Amino acid sequence: MANAASGMSVVDECKLKFLELKSKRNYRFIVFKIEDQEVVVEKLGSPAENYDDFVNSLPADECRYAVFDFDFITTENCQKSKIFFIAWSPDTSKVRMKMVYASSKDRFKRELDGIQVELQATDPSEMSFDIIKSRAI
Amino acid sequence: MYGGDEVSAIVIDLGSHTCKAGYAGEDAPKAVFPSAVGSVDQMEVDNPDNPEDNSGFAPDSKSKGKRKLYVGSQALGFRRDHMEVISPIKDGMVVDWDIVENIWDHAFRECLLIDPKEHPMLLAEPCSNTQQQREKSAEIMFEKYQVPALFLAKNAVLTSFASGRATSLVVDSGGGLTTVAPVHDGYVLQKAVATSPIGGEILTDCLIKSLEQKGITIKPRYSFKRKEIRPGEFQIVDLDFPDTTDSYKLYCQRAIASDIKECVSRAPDTPYDDSSYSNIPTTSYELPDGQTIEVGADRFKIPDIIFNPSLVQTIPGMESFAETAASLRGLPQMVIESINKCDVDIRRELFSSILLAGGTASMQQLKERLEKDLLEESPQAARVKVLASGNATERRFSVWIGGSILASLGSFQQMWFSKSEYEEHGASYVQRKCP
Repeated sequence: MANAASGMSVVDECKLKFLELKSKRNYRFIVFKIEDQEVVVEKLGSPAENYDDFVNSLPADECRYAVFDFDFITTENCQKSKIFFIAWSPDTSKVRMKMVYASSKDRFKRELDGIQVELQATDPSEMSFDIIKSRAI
Repeated sequence: MYGGDEVSAIVIDLGSHTCKAGYAGEDAPKAVFPSAVGSVDQMEVDNPDNPEDNSGFAPDSKSKGKRKLYVGSQALGFRRDHMEVISPIKDGMVVDWDIVENIWDHAFRECLLIDPKEHPMLLAEPCSNTQQQREKSAEIMFEKYQVPALFLAKNAVLTSFASGRATSLVVDSGGGLTTVAPVHDGYVLQKAVATSPIGGEILTDCLIKSLEQKGITIKPRYSFKRKEIRPGEFQIVDLDFPDTTDSYKLYCQRAIASDIKECVSRAPDTPYDDSSYSNIPTTSYELPDGQTIEVGADRFKIPDIIFNPSLVQTIPGMESFAETAASLRGLPQMVIESINKCDVDIRRELFSSILLAGGTASMQQLKERLEKDLLEESPQAARVKVLASGNATERRFSVWIGGSILASLGSFQQMWFSKSEYEEHGASYVQRKCP
């Protein structure tokens, strides 16, 4: 347990939906939020949606956690996918919210088994499509 | 498990220069007072103090040396014969627990007006706090103050979380110390922590000496009386108190000099050198005794010490510190060395989230200069980003604010190190509860 962790609990639905994303691949992304001292699922993205739809589903001035399943083609022409975990905490959000999300992240991330790349973003440029691509390879 | 949601916790951040204390859940600490205290040996004093200036005084019966300690800005602001100014903290470590207890007493009873028995207590601690120090804090809190629950949170982690990051490089430049600490997923990477004694106090001392060299002496506020003889015209009458200690005089001079520093100085955009700054326009500052001084090159030279500690050697009167300074590294080097001690995988992330915290880090242009220097010296692929809260209060009190939010979270109530756990497992359990 990290020093100064918040002790936030995680609703089972988060783990279940993440498992579905991982094994059945029936979601493109999942957005999580903290509500009443629990991490809950806020939004599910269908496989047809793309990265822009995902970015647009993150509020501009509130923190969120999100998981994104990124499909790409490697230089060897190989179809691959990687699961990204993104801690979205915009500079314009309230200090309290930033504190709550940052201090609960470690605990929450441990619940999601199978994350390949982790990213923390405080403005849209830190999670631009180019950065996602460069981190995937 | 401690389940007391109703009473608010108390958050204390005892820094090397100032102590910040207040109620959890609030935006800023209620009480901010110097960590230094005044001490008068009881042997020498036979006349009791005036009853009205006892406001900040804390009786000190347990002290072996029979000294009387004066805590708080008000008590220190009043000059007393033979009163020495001493600090309980040296190089970030508590060296005198007796003073610390007095400071806590002052915070609880004079500033916050609470009974520590009723409130859980969150203490911010330096990253490199030793096991003995942590156990000692726990012991005093539970035994002496009988607090219902306690938590020790690391400075750097609180700052990092308060800016929304679980991974970051925290550059905390305070009064007595500058600490560079990498935080990864809420853990401080102890091996990569770098510290340097260059803090606000050294800069203030350099400014005093540098001004003295130019023939400007800062008169402490107690050493003169300012009378208005005609409207708008003042006369200064010097007062003489031969029994004032040197440490008290210095304390008062520092208070003024640190205000000059905060008002006029700014970090130069490029490394300081005497020749190019010799013609810099001066800024005027009015001292409390009415004399107006002009500060020129020092405005830039003093802050540059953070980046180039060897500059101290060029200031006459700072010889005692010059030797240490020669072996110190500048802030950008400390940052790079600290990052290079971390795992390769997280270096990129650390470079892109360097957080500034503490009073000295709030210096004008310091953020821009640090970012520029780091860009020149960091690896090509790294994306350097230095962040500081735009809000001055948030920047100065980021540690306290982080603690305040954490302690007020409903979900945090299960994390406290409770009194019953202390009674069952002893002080060493603090390592388990607050890793």
